[in-house]
Amino acid sequence: MTHRSDGGELLAIEGLRTHFFTQDGVVKAVDGVSFAIRHGGTMGVVGESGCGKSITALSVMRLIERPGRIVEGSIRLANRDLLSLSDEEMRDVRGNSISMIFQEPMTSLNPVYMCGDQISEAISLHEGISKREANDRAVEMLGQVGIPDAKRRAREYPHQLSGGMRQRVMIAMALSTNPELLIADEPTTALDVTIQAQILELMKALRERNRMAIMLITHDLGVIAEMADDVVVMYAGKVVEAADVTTVFERPHHPYSKGLLASIPRMGEKRHRLEVIQGVVPNPLNLPLGCLFKRRCPHAMPVCDTPPPLQEIEPGHLSRCWLTPAGEPPAIGPEPTREVAEEAAAALDVAR
Amino acid sequence: MARYVVRRLIQAIPIIIGISIIAFAIVHLAPGDPFDRFRSNKVSPEVIENLRRVYGLDQPLPVQFVKWFTTFWTFPWDSTAWGYSITDGLPVRDKIFERIPSTLQLMGTSLILTIIIAIPVGILGAVRQYSIADKTIAVITTIGYALPTFWLGIILRQIFAQQLDLFPLFGKHSFGKEGDVLDLLWHLFLPALTITIVGVAGWSRYMRASMLEVLRADYIRTAKAKGLASSRVIFKHALRNALIPIVTLLGLTIPTLLAGAAITEAVFSWPGLGFLGVSAVQERDYPVVLAFTMIGGAMVIIGNLLADVLYAVVDPRIKY
Amino acid sequence: MESTQTTPLPGTAAGAVDEVDLTPVRTYWQLVRQRFVRHRLAVIAFFLMAILIAMALFIPLLSGDAWKETSLERINQPPSLTAPLGYDNLGINTFARLMKGLQTSLFIGFSAVVVIVMIGVTVGAMAGYFGGWADNALMRFVDIVLSIPTFFLILMLVAFWGTGNAWVIIIAIGLTGWTTAARLVRAEFLSLREADFVQAAKALGAGDRRIVVRHMIPSAMAPVVVAATLGIADSVVIEAALSFLGFGITPPEASLGNMLTKAQDYFYRDPLLAWYPGITLILVVLAASFLGDGLRDALDPRQRVEAN
Repeated sequence: MTHRSDGGELLAIEGLRTHFFTQDGVVKAVDGVSFAIRHGGTMGVVGESGCGKSITALSVMRLIERPGRIVEGSIRLANRDLLSLSDEEMRDVRGNSISMIFQEPMTSLNPVYMCGDQISEAISLHEGISKREANDRAVEMLGQVGIPDAKRRAREYPHQLSGGMRQRVMIAMALSTNPELLIADEPTTALDVTIQAQILELMKALRERNRMAIMLITHDLGVIAEMADDVVVMYAGKVVEAADVTTVFERPHHPYSKGLLASIPRMGEKRHRLEVIQGVVPNPLNLPLGCLFKRRCPHAMPVCDTPPPLQEIEPGHLSRCWLTPAGEPPAIGPEPTREVAEEAAAALDVAR
Repeated sequence: MARYVVRRLIQAIPIIIGISIIAFAIVHLAPGDPFDRFRSNKVSPEVIENLRRVYGLDQPLPVQFVKWFTTFWTFPWDSTAWGYSITDGLPVRDKIFERIPSTLQLMGTSLILTIIIAIPVGILGAVRQYSIADKTIAVITTIGYALPTFWLGIILRQIFAQQLDLFPLFGKHSFGKEGDVLDLLWHLFLPALTITIVGVAGWSRYMRASMLEVLRADYIRTAKAKGLASSRVIFKHALRNALIPIVTLLGLTIPTLLAGAAITEAVFSWPGLGFLGVSAVQERDYPVVLAFTMIGGAMVIIGNLLADVLYAVVDPRIKY
Repeated sequence: MESTQTTPLPGTAAGAVDEVDLTPVRTYWQLVRQRFVRHRLAVIAFFLMAILIAMALFIPLLSGDAWKETSLERINQPPSLTAPLGYDNLGINTFARLMKGLQTSLFIGFSAVVVIVMIGVTVGAMAGYFGGWADNALMRFVDIVLSIPTFFLILMLVAFWGTGNAWVIIIAIGLTGWTTAARLVRAEFLSLREADFVQAAKALGAGDRRIVVRHMIPSAMAPVVVAATLGIADSVVIEAALSFLGFGITPPEASLGNMLTKAQDYFYRDPLLAWYPGITLILVVLAASFLGDGLRDALDPRQRVEAN
């Protein structure tokens, strides 16, 4: 099932499963994830550490390495199935149609090469222009991302720049080839709050200018609120809720989403203790049967032993929970749809 | 940087003094003296006493030390600065200088060969981690690393020189062929092979480890995300970083260039500096032993300094 | 054994269970054992070393003086049941001599490592704990020792102060090899010094010595154990080289090194003679090396210890 919205779809992920075959067992980091990003739209992917959001992004880029493997699913970029491309074709896509920036600007740049060179490398690779032109473009990009004295900075090494500046360099590098989609994996998590705000402003400006779609991965709901048009909430490798950002913030349905939102302390509120979500993320080698959230869910019911499918509880709003759209326990048992039966069978596999 | 080098050299002075004191102490405080082997019924005690006086051994130790230490540094122009060898009476400085080229030929060739082979092997092992190639290389290098160099020399010599008669048994020239380069290479082959085999085993492991560590880095992920071909990622982005520790290790290997092959030289009777040192110890040729130790110490200090300087040259993050 | 919290926190629905990871809890040493056992090679190395030690202990014990008993009639005799490797040019049982040589080499190797650890830990602990000028002075001393080519230094010590004397060899190797251990301990101590549990001990009024011995040394031991194990390999090889050159253990005493000297001299008579002590030596080195690697991963999988 995909999340449809207006504007043509740029990226459509369908039924993606990326598993890691480790010595201790199979870790299903991404287990049946589907969503779509439209041209120029910003999709926020939210979840705790380990829920599979980064792996989803890396899967789109086809940067999954042993012992991980994409075992199933399709990833379509404007009607091309990325999973069926050859290595060479995929390399053409990377850094060109889809660019990615990462969480740690401190270590994501090569310490032995100058910043400008690292940017121009991407440019000359994908655009085939001369080195001098590429260098000029690189300096130009540095200026666009708000780095003062760009010409001098381009000839400096990463360790000479601050964290915020390094992230700007990363953004410059990612945007230098004018990609249609930017995947940003926790781009501001490692930065100070003030710098965070600057980077987000920068991303918004560039998004406007380049008509660029963004897949924004974060655990920070504040960033989502500020940047995203649509939101996908992930838990333990699955999508548990999907809707546009206003809906998710105003009318969250899945108990996990509700828990996430409730745990944000708000100014002016008077409370005795902060809301927490009980328990911990399940051990991927020891997943519970049925709904993966049931052990932490305040609404857990017997029916939760059967894994719930992703259901549309109102137009454009999906949730993976047995509760009715109104939030009540279901009156009758789950419908024995094929998807339910498949998920139940898969859950039994996990238990074995 | 220049100031850093000067500072290090100044810091090296107390170390050199320390080395000289220790070496001197070991040599002269030991029981017995170098002329013990001359003592017999046939030699009168006066002759021995004379010899001792000639070599200054009758003076009190501190005096001996100061005399030796101060004249030591005049070696660039004074060929007697390091005294005379007890074994054959020749000036120590000349004996040592004469041997240096031979050792450099052996160690230099071995080192170059080692690097040329070990680096690609290490890269291969890292890039194809856990593959058949990698596992084979790992087994071979582990065994190679465990081989005692001198034993390997003995075996190679036994097989290729003694049994198969393919290579000469000892020395660096055949009689009368002193200028012949081919003859030299023929003699050089086995001892260099010995050192190279063990060297490759060690260095390829370092290279592989360094490469593996670099390949795990975030910036490699970034490079791939840019769409670079894997050969570009490996040779441009990864290798450059992986070579940094290797280069510094190279600096640390400099000291062994002169003194490191002592045992191999002994096995093959290669007339190098290390062999001279071992013989000198055997014969209690104190002046040679002391000079040798000082040279060795100086090389270590220079090697360490070189390693640190190279580190700064190769890694832009380092500034002294 | 798993622990499950049964009392729900206030505010949660009745019946909700606070789930804790269901993997069982293990003690530190159990984890160490578990990680060690994962390395098949390390386990093999462990048994190999055990076998070598056992052979080195018992065979000389059982065969008495066979390792030095010469006999005219047994010269160059071929292998038999009691002499699996035959007899050498003096009529000595080669296998017996090999085992005795192994015993000597292992004894010297292990003892040297004990000396290394004792000196290294003491120096490193003092430097790391007291810091300041003591640290400076000691590290200067380390620099000096390290600046003399190690093998040559040992050679001089042994040649001038006691050729053929096992104790001199042990001390010589020990006096030159402690620097790595000292550096490791010093590094650990420098960071441990500020650690909370040390501050706590100080606050309780514990004296310096007690803190160092009871609290800090055990934490610092892991890298030392690894370095010591790897040091056994180095020490054994150094001793063999010394004996080979004629400075270490000399005939009629047996050592793997001097068996090699003989092998070189008698090559034409018995070409295999060089292989027995060589292979034995290699086995010791391999066993010690893999054991060291396995210990390193078992004691701390994220640790980086420099093997010489």
